[in-house]
Amino acid sequence: MNLKILRLMSLMTIKIISPGLQTTVQDMGRIGWRHMGVPESGAADKFSMKLANQLLKKNLNSPVLECTLTGPMLKFLKPLTFVITGANMESRINNNFIENNVPYKVKENDVLSLSNCSTGCRSYIAFSEDIICNSFLESYSTYLPAQLGGINGLALQAGFTLKTQPCELTLSREENIDINQVHSYQNEWKIRVLVGPEFNLLADESKETVFKSNYLVTNDTSRMGTRIKGINLQLDNKYHMLSAPVNTGTIQCPENGLPIILGCDAQTLGGYPRILQIAEIDHPIIGQLRPNDKISFINITIEEASKQLVF
Amino acid sequence: MISSTSLQISDFSENIFLISLYEIVDGIEVSHFFFSLSEYLRNSNHWIEVVSGEDSLIVKYSLFNNSKGKSQETLEKQIKDFNYLEEKKEATVLRVPICYSEEFAYDLQDLKIQSSLSSQDIINLHSSLTYKVKMIGFTPGFAYLGDLPKELMIERLAKPRVNLVPGSVGIAGNRTGIYTLGGPGGWRIIGRTPLSLFNQKKKNPFIILPGMEVKFEPIDKDEFKNFKVNESYDY
Repeated sequence: MNLKILRLMSLMTIKIISPGLQTTVQDMGRIGWRHMGVPESGAADKFSMKLANQLLKKNLNSPVLECTLTGPMLKFLKPLTFVITGANMESRINNNFIENNVPYKVKENDVLSLSNCSTGCRSYIAFSEDIICNSFLESYSTYLPAQLGGINGLALQAGFTLKTQPCELTLSREENIDINQVHSYQNEWKIRVLVGPEFNLLADESKETVFKSNYLVTNDTSRMGTRIKGINLQLDNKYHMLSAPVNTGTIQCPENGLPIILGCDAQTLGGYPRILQIAEIDHPIIGQLRPNDKISFINITIEEASKQLVF
Repeated sequence: MISSTSLQISDFSENIFLISLYEIVDGIEVSHFFFSLSEYLRNSNHWIEVVSGEDSLIVKYSLFNNSKGKSQETLEKQIKDFNYLEEKKEATVLRVPICYSEEFAYDLQDLKIQSSLSSQDIINLHSSLTYKVKMIGFTPGFAYLGDLPKELMIERLAKPRVNLVPGSVGIAGNRTGIYTLGGPGGWRIIGRTPLSLFNQKKKNPFIILPGMEVKFEPIDKDEFKNFKVNESYDY
């Protein structure tokens, strides 16, 4: 065998035995391209993603695997260290159950299998080596609607072998994740929100309803957006609204009165009233919402929201 | 005339400002104004994101570097220094083939009923004008084109579709636009183009750019099937 093939083989490190429901490569996402319609993308729960990298002392923006509801089964072709954060998918190395938020060393031929989570929606796996994958607009994150970034812009497929390469394990960023802030997941969430630019288009009664009622996450939930249901909100009369900028965490209210929470892959502009905006500190929750979760909204002020963000 | 005194800055979120108009200003192309202002603010390299809509824009800043008050001061000063000039240079016209066949045009029937026009009338009207690129966004490279002939104006769907086929051409209000990529969308779909408006192999993957104009050219189903990008589509 020639050297080139040998080198390539030495990079083949993680074999995908089964891919899970939707496992993609994600990082911190794309910044500075929203004006061309490119969403933020990156991990849907950036807190857990950064935590995974921090626990391995990696650069916080290193690409990780994002697993959704059902995780993958992976076979290691060389010794590595990994850690899992986010939703607990009852993970095992070979047949031994392991914990989230704890780094584990594995040997060649060890099998890591993630099962299902019953609370939360997404788990993150970081490896001691860097995943080799496609960059698009300076991010490795997979944007499925346009098949950009990650591994050919797609979710992982069975039989595929991930390539990794050694990297420097030095946490270079000042930003530090506080492991004590790890959420204990339940099927109920209180989400801190600010009133959005079109909050006043809600009928008076709905302005109160939206903070008093519980909503249920529907099956229509993805990295782009999450439809929720509860008491229908009423919009005031006939309004006229032109397409306007939205952000991750913007809650839109279409004419049918059932709000949509925009996720990290959501569009950059929208024509539905922007009734609420989720405070950035709670953006990671958006990535952990699963069908039938109960949510309620707590109205906080801009000052409270910025204090939370800067601590 | 729009001047800095016609604009108000408010909070979109704890780290995003919203700039909008106090009131409707006559005699100015509002979307072009906000587009120009957003370019100007973006070029200052002071902001994380600057995104313009049709009649507003948002500016994301970092709370880790500066206080909110300090950022607002900077923004106010930049707006004051902004000198709006309506550009008068000749626009590039991008010709976009479109097939209005019913298998692609999910909402043509609704439009026929609402407008009392025939399919052919609708096709003629939609493809008769050269549209201006009013705004870019929604999904990567999606261009909002306008203005649509009054006869074709129709409300968005009450419930957006979850997954549209790339190339779908929609209308909503006085705008028409192309869904460059798949994904959800609430515009009424009246046709589809075989032309891909997003090419990630190119250094700049976005085909339609601000300042361009777009002319739709009707093609039939066979032409759609056999469509290949030729040299006349210079992109």
